[in-house]
Amino acid sequence: MKKIVIKNLKYKYPLTEDLALKDISFQIDEGEFIGVIGQNGAGKSTLCQALVGLVPHFYKGAYGGKVLIDNIEVGESDINTLSTKVGIVFQNPFTQVTGSKLTVYEEIAFGLENFGLPQNEMRNRIDYSLELLDIYKFKDRNPFALSGGQMQRMAIASIIAMKPEIIVLDEPTSQLDPQGSEEVFKAIQNLCREKITVIMVEHKIEKIAKYSDRVMILSNGQLIDFDVPEKIFSRDDLEDYGVTAPAFTRICRGLKIKNKDTGLYPITIDEAYDLVVNQNE
Amino acid sequence: MSRITVNDLHFSYKETEEILRGIPLEFDGRSTAIIGQNGAGKTTFVKLLKGLLKPVSGDIFINSINTKNTTAAKLAKDIGLVFQNPNDQIFKNKVIDEVIFGPINIGMNKEKARINSKEALKAVGLHEKLNENPYDLSLSDRKLISIASILAMDTNIVIFDEPTIAQDYLGKERIKNIIKNLKSKGKLVIAILHDMDFVAETFERTIVFNNGKVLLDENTREVFSHSETLKKAFLELPHVTQLCQKLGFKDTFLTVEEFIEYKKSVVKNAK
Amino acid sequence: MKTLSLYQDRDSIIHKVDPISKLYYIGAAVLIPIILPTVSISFTCMLISILILTLGKVFKKVIPLVSFSFIILLSIIIIQGLFNKTNKTVFISLGSLTFYKEGLSYAFKICMRVINIICAFSILILTTKPSDIIEVLVRNGLSPRIGYVLSSVLQIIPQMVSTMDTIKDAQRSRGMETEGSLLMRMKAFIPLIGPVVMNSLISTRERAMALEVRGFNSKVKKSFLNEEFGYKYSIAIKITIILLLALAVIWRIIT
Repeated sequence: MKKIVIKNLKYKYPLTEDLALKDISFQIDEGEFIGVIGQNGAGKSTLCQALVGLVPHFYKGAYGGKVLIDNIEVGESDINTLSTKVGIVFQNPFTQVTGSKLTVYEEIAFGLENFGLPQNEMRNRIDYSLELLDIYKFKDRNPFALSGGQMQRMAIASIIAMKPEIIVLDEPTSQLDPQGSEEVFKAIQNLCREKITVIMVEHKIEKIAKYSDRVMILSNGQLIDFDVPEKIFSRDDLEDYGVTAPAFTRICRGLKIKNKDTGLYPITIDEAYDLVVNQNE
Repeated sequence: MSRITVNDLHFSYKETEEILRGIPLEFDGRSTAIIGQNGAGKTTFVKLLKGLLKPVSGDIFINSINTKNTTAAKLAKDIGLVFQNPNDQIFKNKVIDEVIFGPINIGMNKEKARINSKEALKAVGLHEKLNENPYDLSLSDRKLISIASILAMDTNIVIFDEPTIAQDYLGKERIKNIIKNLKSKGKLVIAILHDMDFVAETFERTIVFNNGKVLLDENTREVFSHSETLKKAFLELPHVTQLCQKLGFKDTFLTVEEFIEYKKSVVKNAK
Repeated sequence: MKTLSLYQDRDSIIHKVDPISKLYYIGAAVLIPIILPTVSISFTCMLISILILTLGKVFKKVIPLVSFSFIILLSIIIIQGLFNKTNKTVFISLGSLTFYKEGLSYAFKICMRVINIICAFSILILTTKPSDIIEVLVRNGLSPRIGYVLSSVLQIIPQMVSTMDTIKDAQRSRGMETEGSLLMRMKAFIPLIGPVVMNSLISTRERAMALEVRGFNSKVKKSFLNEEFGYKYSIAIKITIILLLALAVIWRIIT
């Protein structure tokens, strides 16, 4: 059974004229790392919101088609039920801090308390999340006293503690410095090892190329392509959709060197290195 | 030519923690990127340049005016700062009114202010949205509006604090062009950035801040040749530079185009 | 300033007492002087409160709170001393102003009560963390949503204040003078309101979404990470207080 199935999803926000999502269909397997790329305004955030039920239950608006998470239909369910299956991390680390807790440890407990978990279970889960995101050393600190990267990792830990099988991240590193970004990507790799399905919207194209199993291009509310990163980034019409290929890919395209077996351009530094070195010989 | 001179600048918010520990810098006319980890003191430095903060010791001279002897508002006609979060700045409910606010404040006459504002909006690609409410537009459009608000003031020095955050590929290209344009008009452009590729493609000079001090201060190409130093400061190299170093090149390549050109010329010479 | 609160972190026995007992105390301290309205009762209650504050090592912090109400108290003394309906006996004459004993006595009683109330509430506020007070209320039936609003406000307001500073900087950078005459500073206020309000609305909306996906509106009965705030003698204290209240009522009925 596919983990996520989307059939003919259409959506329009209230008081707007255009559809934010126009007839989107795709499927995702358990444990996949999916990168979502596209211009600003293409519908990437809307798609994230549709995966967790904020669309349509929080935003209302006009909704059509089906989103099935583990066979539960999002449109018929509610955000509380869905939050045990799918978690979401937003762009801004500050607005994900509840503000009602004085330590990182208690902050992560917030969602667990809301679901009435017993204390032992809570502590186990919080310890697990703190370790996974490498923020155990901050557990007694005030949430507002953390740096952006640490705050974002705390936000991810808060969601992970709820043990969702799927986690959606909407540009989680956009406000972070290179080190903060790297910390977040490393943490997400840890998640994949735990077989959690990850869907991530990002503009850092080299990172998307490096970590994704498959990449989705959205443009103007439509799904343009959904394939392995090598195929996506070998397309020569990426700029029409407001995206670009990783630097390594662009170099090899400029030098016209492809991987002989796949006929595609490389997407990581190591692949590019191999091809350029071989070309010299 | 605009000049900024910084002499042995020290600054701290609290006595116990010094943020800037002795910064000596001269800004000539080269477009300059300031890079460094979060917490290294970059935003604080830029606020000091703008007169929003005053040095604890040391001096900053903007065109020979000491920032200690003036206010941020008075410096506004010489030096503009685009803040990171557009929501911290936008308060008018029409785009054109927002952009014209700055020019009017610094004493530009209304007609000139209007012309400048429209030009600025054209430069950021929002000239068709003059009468819309900024908060009806997307975050990245609001970012472009905040840039336009400073461009319209036509200051000789323009500072950008993280202009590329949350921008997509097209947005970044647009900002790149704006910076190149400013440079061609003789303006001094300074920017705080985390996107190393953008830095390599756009700026002539790069200053590395680390722990409140200047770690490196050279032409961009020189700076990115010190890969070990940058690694210690938790900074990455531009992707092209990474690949070329791996390939064993002694030269530092900054852009994809540069490397492709080089390779093509090597092939041509071999023939 | 990370959190808005008057809480003083000290190692005292009063700090260990649970918030509900303290609430009982406040009830008694307010009601007993009303049931038995003599000056000596009010005075005794006040002394007891002061004693408790001293035990809690927070007495010094009450003084600014009391002085805050000083102006009101002073005006009560003056007005009652001069104009109380039952004024007969002259107490003191200052020029053309005559202060009467009945009025002053009445005012004195009121002042005593006010100081009493302030001291009693201070026992709660100065020796208990706001988060503990709110948690106890939620455990005893307060809606968790209201509890969240109360506790988040204490941390979010300081955050908003620092955002205001950033907004002020942004407008100063565009040539808006904020320093100088009062008129200038008032004019400078207007461009600040818009961004502050918009920022708050946007942050609130984003925060609301983040809370939603963490089960904020879940119908499940909430549990608590921390152990319940327990104090050995809390039942003894509550019973004692209720007994005292009962005694006061009986005394009143008898005499």
